[in-house]
Amino acid sequence: MASEEAKDYVLPPEVLEETVRASEELWKPVKKVKFRIYKYNPKKDYAPHWEEHELEVSKGMTVLDALLTIKGEMDPTLGVRYSCRMGLCGSCAMMINGKQMLACQTRVLEAAGDGDVVELRPLDNFPVERDLAADFTHFFEKHKSVKPWIIRSDEVELNNPTGPYKQTVDEYARYYQFTDCIKCGACLSACPTAATDYEYLGPQALAQAYRYMVDTRDDGLDVRIAVVDTEHGCWRCHFAASCSDVCPRGVDPAQGIQLLKRLIIKRKFGYKPHKPAEALPAKVKAESKSGG
Amino acid sequence: MRESTVMFLHYITAILIAITGLIHLLANNDPAIGPLIKSNTALYLGNMAIFLAALLYHAFNGVRVILIEMVPDRCWTKWIGWAILIVGVVTYAVGLQVLMVALGLA
Amino acid sequence: MEAESGYREYYARNMRGISGWFKVRAYTIERWLYAAHRITGILIVLFILAHFYSTGWHPGLWWDALLGVVVTFHVANGIRLILAELGLAIGKPLLIKKPSQRPVSIEGVQRYLVVFALVLFIVLAAIWAYYALVVQSMMG
Repeated sequence: MASEEAKDYVLPPEVLEETVRASEELWKPVKKVKFRIYKYNPKKDYAPHWEEHELEVSKGMTVLDALLTIKGEMDPTLGVRYSCRMGLCGSCAMMINGKQMLACQTRVLEAAGDGDVVELRPLDNFPVERDLAADFTHFFEKHKSVKPWIIRSDEVELNNPTGPYKQTVDEYARYYQFTDCIKCGACLSACPTAATDYEYLGPQALAQAYRYMVDTRDDGLDVRIAVVDTEHGCWRCHFAASCSDVCPRGVDPAQGIQLLKRLIIKRKFGYKPHKPAEALPAKVKAESKSGG
Repeated sequence: MRESTVMFLHYITAILIAITGLIHLLANNDPAIGPLIKSNTALYLGNMAIFLAALLYHAFNGVRVILIEMVPDRCWTKWIGWAILIVGVVTYAVGLQVLMVALGLA
Repeated sequence: MEAESGYREYYARNMRGISGWFKVRAYTIERWLYAAHRITGILIVLFILAHFYSTGWHPGLWWDALLGVVVTFHVANGIRLILAELGLAIGKPLLIKKPSQRPVSIEGVQRYLVVFALVLFIVLAAIWAYYALVVQSMMG
Protein backbone atom coordinates (compact mmCIF):
# COMPACT_ATOMS: atom_id res chain seq x y z
CA MET A 1 0.00 0.00 0.00
CA ALA A 2 2.63 2.48 1.11
CA SER A 3 4.95 1.56 -1.77
CA GLU A 4 2.11 2.03 -4.28
CA GLU A 5 1.44 5.53 -2.97
CA ALA A 6 5.10 6.36 -3.04
CA LYS A 7 5.30 5.18 -6.65
CA ASP A 8 2.82 7.88 -7.67
CA TYR A 9 5.16 10.58 -6.41
CA VAL A 10 8.24 9.44 -8.34
CA LEU A 11 8.98 11.84 -11.17
CA PRO A 12 8.85 10.52 -14.75
CA PRO A 13 12.39 9.67 -15.94
CA GLU A 14 12.58 12.47 -18.53
CA VAL A 15 11.55 15.14 -15.97
CA LEU A 16 14.00 13.74 -13.44
CA GLU A 17 16.77 13.82 -16.05
CA GLU A 18 15.93 17.43 -16.90
CA THR A 19 15.96 18.41 -13.21
CA VAL A 20 19.31 16.76 -12.62
CA ARG A 21 20.74 18.41 -15.76
CA ALA A 22 19.50 21.86 -14.69
CA SER A 23 20.93 21.44 -11.21
CA GLU A 24 24.27 20.26 -12.61
CA GLU A 25 24.27 23.29 -14.89
CA LEU A 26 23.71 25.52 -11.84
CA TRP A 27 26.67 24.07 -9.97
CA LYS A 28 29.11 23.66 -12.88
CA PRO A 29 32.17 25.92 -12.50
CA VAL A 30 31.92 28.89 -14.88
CA LYS A 31 34.90 31.08 -14.16
CA LYS A 32 37.67 31.81 -11.71
CA VAL A 33 36.97 34.68 -9.29
CA LYS A 34 39.53 36.27 -7.01
CA PHE A 35 38.29 37.02 -3.47
CA ARG A 36 40.00 39.88 -1.60
CA ILE A 37 39.14 39.32 2.02
CA TYR A 38 39.71 41.72 4.93
CA LYS A 39 41.54 40.01 7.77
CA TYR A 40 41.73 41.70 11.14
CA ASN A 41 41.60 40.61 14.72
CA PRO A 42 41.48 43.70 16.97
CA LYS A 43 42.74 41.72 19.95
CA LYS A 44 45.90 40.55 18.19
CA ASP A 45 46.67 42.44 14.99
CA TYR A 46 48.26 45.86 14.79
CA ALA A 47 46.53 46.66 11.48
CA PRO A 48 44.25 44.83 9.06
CA HIS A 49 45.60 43.07 6.00
CA TRP A 50 44.04 41.60 2.86
CA GLU A 51 44.14 37.98 1.81
CA GLU A 52 43.42 36.76 -1.68
CA HIS A 53 41.93 33.43 -2.65
CA GLU A 54 40.99 32.15 -6.08
CA LEU A 55 37.96 29.99 -6.51
CA GLU A 56 36.09 28.34 -9.36
CA VAL A 57 32.57 29.68 -9.06
CA SER A 58 29.33 28.43 -10.58
CA LYS A 59 26.11 30.17 -11.54
CA GLY A 60 24.27 29.37 -8.32
CA MET A 61 27.09 30.03 -5.89
CA THR A 62 26.43 32.75 -3.36
CA VAL A 63 29.16 34.76 -1.67
CA LEU A 64 28.43 32.90 1.56
CA ASP A 65 28.91 29.55 -0.22
CA ALA A 66 32.23 30.80 -1.52
CA LEU A 67 33.27 32.01 1.94
CA LEU A 68 32.41 28.66 3.50
CA THR A 69 34.41 26.87 0.80
CA ILE A 70 37.36 29.17 1.47
CA LYS A 71 36.99 28.60 5.21
CA GLY A 72 36.82 24.85 4.73
CA GLU A 73 39.56 24.37 2.17
CA MET A 74 41.94 27.33 2.17
CA ASP A 75 41.84 29.46 5.32
CA PRO A 76 40.32 27.89 8.44
CA THR A 77 40.99 31.05 10.50
CA LEU A 78 38.51 33.15 8.47
CA GLY A 79 35.89 34.76 10.71
CA VAL A 80 32.43 35.05 9.19
CA ARG A 81 29.04 35.18 10.88
CA TYR A 82 26.06 33.39 9.29
CA SER A 83 23.10 31.37 10.35
CA CYS A 84 20.15 30.67 8.07
CA ARG A 85 21.69 31.02 4.56
CA MET A 86 18.38 32.27 3.15
CA GLY A 87 18.17 35.96 3.95
CA LEU A 88 16.02 35.70 7.05
CA CYS A 89 18.37 36.00 10.01
CA GLY A 90 20.41 39.06 9.00
CA SER A 91 23.73 37.72 10.27
CA CYS A 92 25.84 37.83 7.13
CA ALA A 93 25.56 41.46 5.97
CA MET A 94 28.94 42.73 4.73
CA MET A 95 30.51 45.10 2.24
CA ILE A 96 30.56 43.26 -1.09
CA ASN A 97 32.48 45.33 -3.63
CA GLY A 98 31.80 48.46 -1.58
CA LYS A 99 28.08 48.06 -0.99
CA GLN A 100 26.18 46.60 1.95
CA MET A 101 24.61 43.27 0.95
CA LEU A 102 23.69 39.94 2.49
CA ALA A 103 26.37 37.40 1.59
CA CYS A 104 23.76 34.64 1.41
CA GLN A 105 21.52 36.56 -1.03
CA THR A 106 24.23 37.74 -3.43
CA ARG A 107 25.55 35.49 -6.14
CA VAL A 108 29.27 35.72 -6.78
CA LEU A 109 28.84 36.24 -10.53
CA GLU A 110 26.35 39.07 -9.89
CA ALA A 111 28.70 40.73 -7.41
CA ALA A 112 31.71 40.34 -9.70
CA GLY A 113 29.85 41.63 -12.77
CA ASP A 114 32.19 41.90 -15.75
CA GLY A 115 35.31 41.77 -13.57
CA ASP A 116 36.63 38.80 -11.68
CA VAL A 117 37.42 40.33 -8.28
CA VAL A 118 35.10 40.33 -5.29
CA GLU A 119 36.22 42.51 -2.41
CA LEU A 120 34.82 41.63 1.00
CA ARG A 121 34.97 43.91 4.03
CA PRO A 122 33.11 43.91 7.34
CA LEU A 123 30.23 46.42 7.54
CA ASP A 124 31.36 50.05 7.60
CA ASN A 125 30.71 52.12 10.72
CA PHE A 126 30.44 49.03 12.92
CA PRO A 127 33.26 47.98 15.26
CA VAL A 128 35.10 44.94 13.91
CA GLU A 129 34.66 41.74 15.89
CA ARG A 130 36.96 39.65 13.70
CA ASP A 131 37.56 39.58 9.93
CA LEU A 132 34.12 39.88 8.29
CA ALA A 133 32.04 39.80 11.47
CA ALA A 134 30.95 43.16 12.91
CA ASP A 135 30.12 43.96 16.52
CA PHE A 136 26.37 44.72 16.77
CA THR A 137 26.24 45.66 20.47
CA HIS A 138 25.58 49.37 19.97
CA PHE A 139 23.20 48.64 17.10
CA PHE A 140 21.00 46.47 19.32
CA GLU A 141 21.26 48.99 22.16
CA LYS A 142 19.89 51.67 19.84
CA HIS A 143 17.10 49.36 18.76
CA LYS A 144 16.25 48.69 22.40
CA SER A 145 16.34 52.39 23.31
CA VAL A 146 13.28 53.20 21.16
CA LYS A 147 11.23 50.66 23.15
CA PRO A 148 10.30 48.31 20.31
CA TRP A 149 7.33 46.75 22.04
CA ILE A 150 3.67 47.63 22.59
CA ILE A 151 3.28 50.11 25.43
CA ARG A 152 -0.14 50.22 27.10
CA SER A 153 -1.53 51.69 30.29
CA ASP A 154 -3.39 48.47 31.18
CA GLU A 155 -0.41 46.27 31.90
CA VAL A 156 -2.35 43.30 33.26
CA GLU A 157 -4.39 43.08 30.08
CA LEU A 158 -1.27 43.46 27.95
CA ASN A 159 0.48 40.54 29.59
CA ASN A 160 -2.59 38.26 29.67
CA PRO A 161 -4.82 39.34 26.78
CA THR A 162 -8.40 38.14 27.09
CA GLY A 163 -9.24 38.64 23.42
CA PRO A 164 -7.82 39.58 20.03
CA TYR A 165 -6.90 43.18 19.22
CA LYS A 166 -8.87 44.38 16.21
CA GLN A 167 -7.31 46.39 13.40
CA THR A 168 -8.58 47.38 9.97
CA VAL A 169 -6.46 46.70 6.89
CA ASP A 170 -5.59 50.41 6.62
CA GLU A 171 -4.36 50.50 10.19
CA TYR A 172 -2.33 47.35 9.56
CA ALA A 173 -0.88 48.73 6.33
CA ARG A 174 0.53 51.76 8.18
CA TYR A 175 3.18 49.71 9.96
CA TYR A 176 3.27 46.29 8.29
CA GLN A 177 6.16 47.07 5.94
CA PHE A 178 8.49 47.97 8.84
CA THR A 179 7.90 44.66 10.62
CA ASP A 180 9.95 42.92 7.91
CA CYS A 181 13.19 44.28 9.39
CA ILE A 182 15.74 41.52 10.09
CA LYS A 183 18.26 43.76 11.90
CA CYS A 184 21.13 42.99 9.53
CA GLY A 185 22.70 46.43 10.10
CA ALA A 186 23.04 47.28 6.38
CA CYS A 187 21.03 50.53 6.75
CA LEU A 188 23.03 51.94 9.65
CA SER A 189 26.21 50.99 7.83
CA ALA A 190 25.13 52.79 4.63
CA CYS A 191 23.98 55.94 6.45
CA PRO A 192 26.32 58.90 5.83
CA THR A 193 25.45 60.41 9.22
CA ALA A 194 26.53 57.20 10.96
CA ALA A 195 29.94 57.55 9.28
CA THR A 196 30.84 60.24 11.81
CA ASP A 197 28.05 60.20 14.38
CA TYR A 198 28.46 57.14 16.58
CA GLU A 199 25.53 58.18 18.78
CA TYR A 200 23.04 58.56 15.92
CA LEU A 201 20.08 56.24 16.47
CA GLY A 202 20.15 55.08 12.88
CA PRO A 203 17.55 54.16 10.24
CA GLN A 204 16.71 50.79 11.77
CA ALA A 205 15.86 52.08 15.26
CA LEU A 206 13.98 55.12 13.93
CA ALA A 207 11.91 53.08 11.48
CA GLN A 208 11.05 50.69 14.31
CA ALA A 209 10.08 53.64 16.53
CA TYR A 210 7.70 54.78 13.78
CA ARG A 211 6.37 51.25 13.39
CA TYR A 212 5.24 51.17 17.04
CA MET A 213 4.10 54.80 17.18
CA VAL A 214 1.47 54.33 14.47
CA ASP A 215 0.29 50.96 15.75
CA THR A 216 -3.30 51.42 17.00
CA ARG A 217 -2.70 49.02 19.89
CA ASP A 218 0.04 51.26 21.25
CA ASP A 219 -0.09 54.21 23.67
CA GLY A 220 3.63 55.05 23.83
CA LEU A 221 3.73 57.95 21.35
CA ASP A 222 5.06 60.56 23.77
CA VAL A 223 7.43 58.11 25.47
CA ARG A 224 9.12 57.40 22.13
CA ILE A 225 9.11 61.02 20.97
CA ALA A 226 11.24 61.82 24.03
CA VAL A 227 13.78 59.26 22.75
CA VAL A 228 13.84 59.99 19.01
CA ASP A 229 13.38 63.78 19.13
CA THR A 230 16.92 64.47 20.41
CA GLU A 231 20.18 65.84 19.01
CA HIS A 232 21.24 62.39 17.82
CA GLY A 233 17.73 61.27 16.91
CA CYS A 234 15.60 61.46 13.79
CA TRP A 235 16.58 65.05 12.83
CA ARG A 236 20.09 63.96 11.94
CA CYS A 237 18.61 62.18 8.92
CA HIS A 238 19.06 64.29 5.79
CA PHE A 239 17.40 61.90 3.38
CA ALA A 240 20.37 60.48 1.50
CA ALA A 241 18.08 57.42 1.14
CA SER A 242 20.98 54.94 1.11
CA CYS A 243 19.38 52.94 3.90
CA SER A 244 16.39 52.10 1.71
CA ASP A 245 18.70 51.49 -1.24
CA VAL A 246 20.66 48.75 0.54
CA CYS A 247 17.85 47.15 2.56
CA PRO A 248 17.72 43.47 1.56
CA ARG A 249 14.10 43.14 2.72
CA GLY A 250 12.58 46.19 1.03
CA VAL A 251 11.70 47.79 4.35
CA ASP A 252 12.31 51.40 3.22
CA PRO A 253 13.57 52.91 6.51
CA ALA A 254 14.09 56.32 4.84
CA GLN A 255 10.35 56.59 4.32
CA GLY A 256 9.76 55.61 7.93
CA ILE A 257 12.08 58.35 9.22
CA GLN A 258 10.47 61.08 7.08
CA LEU A 259 7.01 59.98 8.20
CA LEU A 260 8.31 59.96 11.78
CA LYS A 261 9.43 63.58 11.39
CA ARG A 262 6.02 64.48 10.03
CA LEU A 263 4.39 62.72 12.98
CA ILE A 264 6.54 64.63 15.48
CA ILE A 265 5.79 68.00 13.83
CA LYS A 266 2.08 67.14 13.83
CA ARG A 267 2.27 66.12 17.49
CA LYS A 268 3.59 69.62 18.28
CA PHE A 269 0.29 70.97 16.97
CA GLY A 270 -1.73 68.48 18.99
CA TYR A 271 -2.36 65.77 16.39
CA LYS A 272 -2.15 62.10 17.34
CA PRO A 273 -2.03 59.27 14.77
CA HIS A 274 -4.81 57.36 16.52
CA LYS A 275 -7.04 57.51 19.58
CA PRO A 276 -5.67 56.03 22.80
CA ALA A 277 -5.65 52.26 22.43
CA GLU A 278 -9.03 50.97 23.49
CA ALA A 279 -9.44 48.54 26.35
CA LEU A 280 -10.63 45.11 25.29
CA PRO A 281 -14.30 44.07 25.82
CA ALA A 282 -13.50 41.60 28.59
CA LYS A 283 -11.46 44.23 30.37
CA VAL A 284 -14.28 46.77 30.08
CA LYS A 285 -16.77 44.27 31.55
CA ALA A 286 -14.50 43.45 34.46
CA GLU A 287 -13.90 47.14 35.17
CA SER A 288 -17.58 48.05 35.04
CA LYS A 289 -18.37 45.16 37.35
CA SER A 290 -15.82 46.20 39.93
CA GLY A 291 -16.73 49.87 39.50
CA GLY A 292 -20.49 49.49 39.74
CA MET B 1 14.25 73.79 23.06
CA ARG B 2 13.36 70.45 21.58
CA GLU B 3 15.29 69.36 18.52
CA SER B 4 12.05 69.20 16.52
CA THR B 5 11.34 72.89 17.24
CA VAL B 6 14.84 73.85 16.13
CA MET B 7 14.55 71.86 12.91
CA PHE B 8 10.99 73.00 12.19
CA LEU B 9 12.23 76.60 12.41
CA HIS B 10 15.06 75.50 10.08
CA TYR B 11 12.44 74.71 7.41
CA ILE B 12 10.37 77.83 8.13
CA THR B 13 13.43 80.08 7.85
CA ALA B 14 14.36 78.31 4.61
CA ILE B 15 11.06 79.44 3.08
CA LEU B 16 11.48 82.96 4.54
CA ILE B 17 14.97 83.20 3.03
CA ALA B 18 13.66 82.18 -0.38
CA ILE B 19 11.11 85.03 -0.33
CA THR B 20 13.07 87.83 1.37
CA GLY B 21 16.29 86.83 -0.39
CA LEU B 22 14.58 87.17 -3.75
CA ILE B 23 13.49 90.71 -2.83
CA HIS B 24 17.04 91.50 -1.70
CA LEU B 25 18.50 90.21 -4.96
CA LEU B 26 15.97 92.07 -7.12
CA ALA B 27 16.50 95.30 -5.20
CA ASN B 28 20.22 95.23 -5.83
CA ASN B 29 20.41 93.72 -9.31
CA ASP B 30 17.30 94.57 -11.30
CA PRO B 31 17.44 98.00 -12.96
CA ALA B 32 13.63 98.19 -13.31
CA ILE B 33 12.30 96.84 -10.00
CA GLY B 34 15.33 97.64 -7.84
CA PRO B 35 14.81 101.41 -7.33
CA LEU B 36 11.10 100.79 -6.80
CA ILE B 37 11.79 98.48 -3.84
CA LYS B 38 14.59 100.59 -2.43
CA SER B 39 12.51 103.79 -2.53
CA ASN B 40 10.44 102.45 0.38
CA THR B 41 13.24 102.43 2.94
CA ALA B 42 11.19 101.20 5.91
CA LEU B 43 9.84 98.25 3.96
CA TYR B 44 13.23 97.34 2.58
CA LEU B 45 14.83 97.65 6.01
CA GLY B 46 12.14 95.39 7.48
CA ASN B 47 12.67 92.90 4.70
CA MET B 48 16.41 92.93 5.27
CA ALA B 49 16.03 92.52 9.05
CA ILE B 50 13.86 89.43 8.53
CA PHE B 51 16.18 88.14 5.80
CA LEU B 52 19.21 88.58 8.00
CA ALA B 53 17.61 86.88 11.00
CA ALA B 54 16.32 83.96 8.95
CA LEU B 55 19.57 83.58 7.03
CA LEU B 56 21.70 83.59 10.16
CA TYR B 57 19.42 81.15 11.95
CA HIS B 58 19.44 78.80 8.96
CA ALA B 59 23.17 79.12 8.34
CA PHE B 60 24.29 78.71 11.93
CA ASN B 61 21.86 75.91 12.62
CA GLY B 62 23.26 74.16 9.54
CA VAL B 63 26.77 74.60 10.91
CA ARG B 64 25.58 73.29 14.28
CA VAL B 65 24.07 70.21 12.64
CA ILE B 66 27.31 69.50 10.80
CA LEU B 67 29.36 70.03 13.97
CA ILE B 68 27.29 67.77 16.20
CA GLU B 69 27.44 65.08 13.55
CA MET B 70 31.21 65.48 13.43
CA VAL B 71 31.61 65.51 17.24
CA PRO B 72 29.05 62.96 18.47
CA ASP B 73 30.05 63.31 22.13
CA ARG B 74 26.90 64.18 24.10
CA CYS B 75 28.83 66.51 26.39
CA TRP B 76 30.11 68.50 23.42
CA THR B 77 26.68 68.57 21.76
CA LYS B 78 25.30 70.95 24.40
CA TRP B 79 28.33 73.25 24.27
CA ILE B 80 28.24 73.41 20.49
CA GLY B 81 24.61 74.55 20.67
CA TRP B 82 25.35 77.35 23.15
CA ALA B 83 28.50 78.49 21.34
CA ILE B 84 26.67 78.67 18.02
CA LEU B 85 23.81 80.62 19.65
CA ILE B 86 26.21 83.25 21.06
CA VAL B 87 28.12 83.57 17.79
CA GLY B 88 24.83 83.84 15.91
CA VAL B 89 23.42 86.62 18.13
CA VAL B 90 26.67 88.60 17.91
CA THR B 91 26.73 88.21 14.13
CA TYR B 92 23.13 89.41 13.92
CA ALA B 93 24.00 92.56 15.88
CA VAL B 94 27.00 93.23 13.65
CA GLY B 95 24.93 92.44 10.57
CA LEU B 96 22.20 94.93 11.56
CA GLN B 97 24.83 97.62 11.99
CA VAL B 98 26.34 96.82 8.59
CA LEU B 99 22.84 97.00 7.13
CA MET B 100 22.15 100.43 8.64
CA VAL B 101 25.46 101.75 7.32
CA ALA B 102 24.78 100.33 3.88
CA LEU B 103 21.34 101.99 3.77
CA GLY B 104 22.76 105.29 5.00
CA LEU B 105 20.75 105.36 8.23
CA ALA B 106 23.62 105.34 10.71
CA MET C 1 52.94 52.59 22.47
CA GLU C 2 50.13 55.12 22.65
CA ALA C 3 50.20 55.70 18.94
CA GLU C 4 49.94 51.97 18.40
CA SER C 5 46.79 51.64 20.52
CA GLY C 6 45.37 54.68 18.72
CA TYR C 7 45.80 52.95 15.36
CA ARG C 8 44.29 49.79 16.76
CA GLU C 9 41.27 51.71 18.02
CA TYR C 10 40.92 53.37 14.61
CA TYR C 11 40.83 50.03 12.79
CA ALA C 12 38.66 48.33 15.41
CA ARG C 13 36.00 51.06 15.26
CA ASN C 14 36.00 50.98 11.44
CA MET C 15 34.20 54.35 11.12
CA ARG C 16 34.45 55.92 7.67
CA GLY C 17 34.63 59.44 9.10
CA ILE C 18 33.91 62.52 6.99
CA SER C 19 34.85 60.66 3.81
CA GLY C 20 31.74 58.57 4.50
CA TRP C 21 29.55 61.62 3.79
CA PHE C 22 30.94 61.73 0.29
CA LYS C 23 30.99 58.01 -0.48
CA VAL C 24 28.45 58.29 -3.27
CA ARG C 25 29.54 55.71 -5.82
CA ALA C 26 27.51 52.65 -4.97
CA TYR C 27 24.26 54.44 -4.07
CA THR C 28 21.37 56.34 -5.65
CA ILE C 29 21.27 59.99 -6.80
CA GLU C 30 19.87 61.14 -3.44
CA ARG C 31 23.28 60.48 -1.98
CA TRP C 32 24.90 62.84 -4.53
CA LEU C 33 22.31 65.48 -3.74
CA TYR C 34 22.93 65.03 0.01
CA ALA C 35 26.69 65.53 -0.42
CA ALA C 36 26.23 68.50 -2.77
CA HIS C 37 23.68 70.11 -0.43
CA ARG C 38 26.16 69.96 2.42
CA ILE C 39 29.07 71.35 0.38
CA THR C 40 26.99 74.20 -1.10
CA GLY C 41 25.67 75.01 2.38
CA ILE C 42 29.19 75.41 3.75
CA LEU C 43 30.22 77.53 0.74
CA ILE C 44 27.21 79.83 1.22
CA VAL C 45 28.05 80.33 4.92
CA LEU C 46 31.60 81.30 3.93
CA PHE C 47 30.23 83.70 1.32
CA ILE C 48 27.76 85.45 3.65
CA LEU C 49 30.47 86.01 6.25
CA ALA C 50 32.65 87.66 3.59
CA HIS C 51 29.61 89.57 2.33
CA PHE C 52 28.99 91.00 5.85
CA TYR C 53 32.61 92.04 6.19
CA SER C 54 32.21 94.22 3.14
CA THR C 55 28.67 94.49 1.76
CA GLY C 56 29.86 95.56 -1.65
CA TRP C 57 32.22 92.62 -1.94
CA HIS C 58 31.51 90.15 -4.70
CA PRO C 59 33.80 87.55 -6.17
CA GLY C 60 33.60 89.03 -9.68
CA LEU C 61 31.86 88.44 -12.99
CA TRP C 62 32.29 84.70 -13.66
CA TRP C 63 32.69 83.88 -10.00
CA ASP C 64 29.34 85.59 -9.46
CA ALA C 65 27.76 83.15 -11.90
CA LEU C 66 29.45 80.29 -10.03
CA LEU C 67 28.06 81.64 -6.76
CA GLY C 68 24.66 81.51 -8.46
CA VAL C 69 25.15 77.80 -9.21
CA VAL C 70 25.93 77.15 -5.55
CA VAL C 71 23.00 79.17 -4.20
CA THR C 72 20.39 77.99 -6.70
CA PHE C 73 21.36 74.36 -6.16
CA HIS C 74 20.87 74.80 -2.42
CA VAL C 75 17.50 76.46 -3.00
CA ALA C 76 16.18 73.92 -5.53
CA ASN C 77 17.35 70.90 -3.54
CA GLY C 78 16.15 72.55 -0.34
CA ILE C 79 12.61 72.71 -1.73
CA ARG C 80 12.81 68.98 -2.50
CA LEU C 81 14.14 68.25 0.99
CA ILE C 82 11.41 70.27 2.73
CA LEU C 83 8.75 68.35 0.81
CA ALA C 84 10.38 64.96 1.37
CA GLU C 85 11.44 65.40 4.99
CA LEU C 86 8.02 66.56 6.08
CA GLY C 87 6.62 63.38 4.57
CA LEU C 88 4.66 65.12 1.81
CA ALA C 89 6.16 63.50 -1.28
CA ILE C 90 7.44 60.24 0.07
CA GLY C 91 4.62 57.79 -0.66
CA LYS C 92 2.78 55.45 1.66
CA PRO C 93 4.14 52.32 3.33
CA LEU C 94 3.38 49.25 1.22
CA LEU C 95 1.09 46.43 2.26
CA ILE C 96 2.02 44.11 -0.60
CA LYS C 97 5.58 43.87 -1.85
CA LYS C 98 6.86 42.48 -5.10
CA PRO C 99 9.66 39.88 -4.81
CA SER C 100 12.33 42.45 -5.65
CA GLN C 101 10.67 45.57 -4.31
CA ARG C 102 12.55 48.83 -4.81
CA PRO C 103 11.96 51.37 -2.03
CA VAL C 104 8.95 53.64 -2.51
CA SER C 105 10.74 56.60 -0.97
CA ILE C 106 13.30 56.45 -3.81
CA GLU C 107 11.39 55.17 -6.83
CA GLY C 108 7.98 56.66 -6.05
CA VAL C 109 6.84 60.31 -6.26
CA GLN C 110 10.20 61.39 -4.93
CA ARG C 111 11.85 60.47 -8.29
CA TYR C 112 9.75 63.13 -10.00
CA LEU C 113 10.65 65.51 -7.22
CA VAL C 114 14.35 64.93 -7.92
CA VAL C 115 13.82 65.68 -11.61
CA PHE C 116 11.79 68.77 -10.68
CA ALA C 117 14.54 69.99 -8.34
CA LEU C 118 17.24 69.51 -10.98
CA VAL C 119 15.20 71.32 -13.65
CA LEU C 120 14.43 74.14 -11.22
CA PHE C 121 18.14 74.32 -10.40
CA ILE C 122 19.09 74.71 -14.05
CA VAL C 123 16.41 77.35 -14.69
CA LEU C 124 17.30 79.39 -11.60
CA ALA C 125 21.03 79.11 -12.32
CA ALA C 126 20.44 80.34 -15.88
CA ILE C 127 18.43 83.34 -14.63
CA TRP C 128 21.12 84.15 -12.07
CA ALA C 129 23.86 83.85 -14.70
CA TYR C 130 21.88 86.19 -16.99
CA TYR C 131 21.70 88.80 -14.23
CA ALA C 132 25.35 88.33 -13.22
CA LEU C 133 26.80 88.40 -16.73
CA VAL C 134 24.41 90.59 -18.79
CA VAL C 135 22.35 92.85 -16.54
CA GLN C 136 25.24 93.67 -14.19
CA SER C 137 27.44 94.82 -17.04
CA MET C 138 24.56 96.93 -18.41
CA MET C 139 24.10 98.55 -14.99
CA GLY C 140 27.84 99.27 -14.90
